[in-house]
Amino acid sequence: MDVDSDIPMHDAIESQQQQSSSSYNKESNPPENNKHVSSSSPITNSSPSSDIISNSIKDTVNTSTTHDNTQSNNNNTTSSSSSNINQLEEWIEHLSKCQILSEDDVSRLCKMAVDVLQYEQNVQPVNVPVTICGDVHGQFHDLMELFQIGGPCPDTNYLFMGDYVDRGYYSVETVSFLVCMKVRYPNRITILRGNHESRQITQVYGFYDECLRKYGSANVWKMFTDLFDYFPITALVDNKIFCLHGGLSPMIETIDQVRELNRVQEVPHEGPMCDLLWSDPDDRGGWGISPRGAGFTFGQDISEQFNHTNDLNLIARAHQLVIEGYAWSHQSVVTIFSAPNYCYRCGNQAAIMEVDENLNRQFLQYDPAVRPGEPTVSRKTPDYFL
Amino acid sequence: MDLQKSVLLNNLKKAQELLGTDENDEYHEGENEEDFVGDLPSFTNNAKKQPKSSFNSGKNLPSETALPQWNDFLQHRNVFTINNHRFNYFYSLFDTNAIENCKSIPVFIFHHGAGSSALTFAMLIKILQEKYAGACACFTFDARGHGGTQFIDDSVDTYSLNDFVDDFNANIENFIDNHLKPCSPASLEKISITLVGHSLGGSICTNVFPILKDNIKNKVVGVCMLDIVEEAAILALDRMELFLQTTPFNFNNMKDAISWHVNRGMPNDKPSAEISIPPLFKQDIISGGVSRVTDLSFFTSYWSTWFKGLSSKFVDLKTSKLLILAGNDNLDKDLIVGQMQGKYQLVIFQESGHFIQEDNSLKTAITLMDFMHRNDNKNVVIKTNWGAHK
Repeated sequence: MDVDSDIPMHDAIESQQQQSSSSYNKESNPPENNKHVSSSSPITNSSPSSDIISNSIKDTVNTSTTHDNTQSNNNNTTSSSSSNINQLEEWIEHLSKCQILSEDDVSRLCKMAVDVLQYEQNVQPVNVPVTICGDVHGQFHDLMELFQIGGPCPDTNYLFMGDYVDRGYYSVETVSFLVCMKVRYPNRITILRGNHESRQITQVYGFYDECLRKYGSANVWKMFTDLFDYFPITALVDNKIFCLHGGLSPMIETIDQVRELNRVQEVPHEGPMCDLLWSDPDDRGGWGISPRGAGFTFGQDISEQFNHTNDLNLIARAHQLVIEGYAWSHQSVVTIFSAPNYCYRCGNQAAIMEVDENLNRQFLQYDPAVRPGEPTVSRKTPDYFL
Repeated sequence: MDLQKSVLLNNLKKAQELLGTDENDEYHEGENEEDFVGDLPSFTNNAKKQPKSSFNSGKNLPSETALPQWNDFLQHRNVFTINNHRFNYFYSLFDTNAIENCKSIPVFIFHHGAGSSALTFAMLIKILQEKYAGACACFTFDARGHGGTQFIDDSVDTYSLNDFVDDFNANIENFIDNHLKPCSPASLEKISITLVGHSLGGSICTNVFPILKDNIKNKVVGVCMLDIVEEAAILALDRMELFLQTTPFNFNNMKDAISWHVNRGMPNDKPSAEISIPPLFKQDIISGGVSRVTDLSFFTSYWSTWFKGLSSKFVDLKTSKLLILAGNDNLDKDLIVGQMQGKYQLVIFQESGHFIQEDNSLKTAITLMDFMHRNDNKNVVIKTNWGAHK
């Protein structure tokens, strides 16, 4: 675990920024980075066989330059002409070095992404096996770590449950990368919407400012937040695991009711779509007012009834920081959080959940990726005395 | 650009000051009087006064720039004495007709920050009273060593967090027992209290909640802190000396004092500063100018007690919690974890300065009303359609 290198230094912000970006140029494309990371020994408390992990890491090394060619035939469904595929692969390679795309390229990418995402459903069906992930929040290097731990996409299928942007320093790179992967491998990766994939929230928690800083205008922020409206809001894995960012809604008793929603809009302040992205499970039974100011809390009685009504095994959701990266709430609700050492200071582990062909589940936990020091956003110290 | 703008603004303000004619000695009318303006119900008076109050005094012509008075904003002023300490306080009560059919009567109890005073909430309280059309009550007071609450013996009086918390607790009880209860005994069951504290006042609200008497605590809907984060506050302590060095103790007149504070963004909102800043000063007979009531440097030895452990205490409070921050989200670790676990509501007013209740009084009022409404179990029925589709 390498926490120290993530603690932002308060000095020399700009030089550090330059330094870090130049060192990524040199070092952190995936194959080289692997050596780096595998030595940092991902911690896997839920004891998956270590072979699986080391294999998947080797896979990354071996396939990251070649797998695209072999996989492209299988995955190329709706949108990708071969020139698009080349373009996307160029972008993915570029982004995987933690380098941003040009504004024009983001514009093209978002148009391609709308073509894919608008045809997805409010309850997007997902097949097993799949690896389910929680909040990422702009922690790009930890996202790369996630793919090392879980195995490279598209060899491994992924389902992300939202909150790609805000708080971390690389929201632009993170969301660009995931959207690229989505367009490139539409059947291999599913990206749901979180409560942070919203115009309003991103103006407060960092994504908007980051776009301004990195592009000099809000255009890229506008393109992505317009795109977020198309993200599916829930997924159903093998008809048995209901996946979403937040939780249940007192206005949504059946999964069919989710299908009836008009999701292509800004996340509303209240109502069923808001609840799905904001609610939390709670120890108290029944419905409760959420302390967050949006969504509700729901008790075990509610989640059991929902699972029974909809013939489900499990609700998988993200949205809450859990110190070990995953946590069971009721017997059939699991929280998954995939941003280790959240905000570079919370000291939590991250986790992802692998679901195999037989719906067996396995949690893989991991710590922050090793990387050079990160720039810090200077914090104003106010005259709090008054 | 910003520099140019602020120079321009400064010049504009100076020009306005030059135009302003009267020195206005009246704003501290209570200061040297033995009897404060009495406790007479002035609801109807107030209603008549409102149209000509200087609510928009920023826009007034120079000849009309007399500073607003406390009773342009609040109905009553009184003094509460306990242990030989006299607390100056202000309050507005609900209109008994307006609450007749209410299931719940909102009551907002405020605590200002260090170096500030009760009337930092004047504008906010006025807006709340208007928005609720008289169906709410508000209380605000000058903490020890502030505004009109002058303690006599500095060698005996201390200013630790616990002192402030105990004072607040006693003042809350006094307000409820001696003003709310007599006003409408039958309605006491319906009151829903929100504690609101700015800066140090936020810490005091968080610390008073656990020690409230049960019959008061069970009426509390929630605690709201305005622009206070433990880690940032403790960092700010290191810079206090510099801050104090660059903060004048005396001004030639009250208008200079107000302008200085507005220029420094404490608060940014001039109409609000005109009611909140004067209580911080007293006439200096020798110089003919004004000097500060509160010497912040006097508190130095107590600073370390004020914020310690605040964030975790706030997150763990057994009530609903709202944190409103100005500028950007600069939470410390406990607050980040608490927020990411959904333990409290965070609202950020990016355009606001530190004095949120003054710079954004309308938005603050609306946010408090939403918070109160949402968390008040007397109002809340969670609508569900579950079971309707069998």
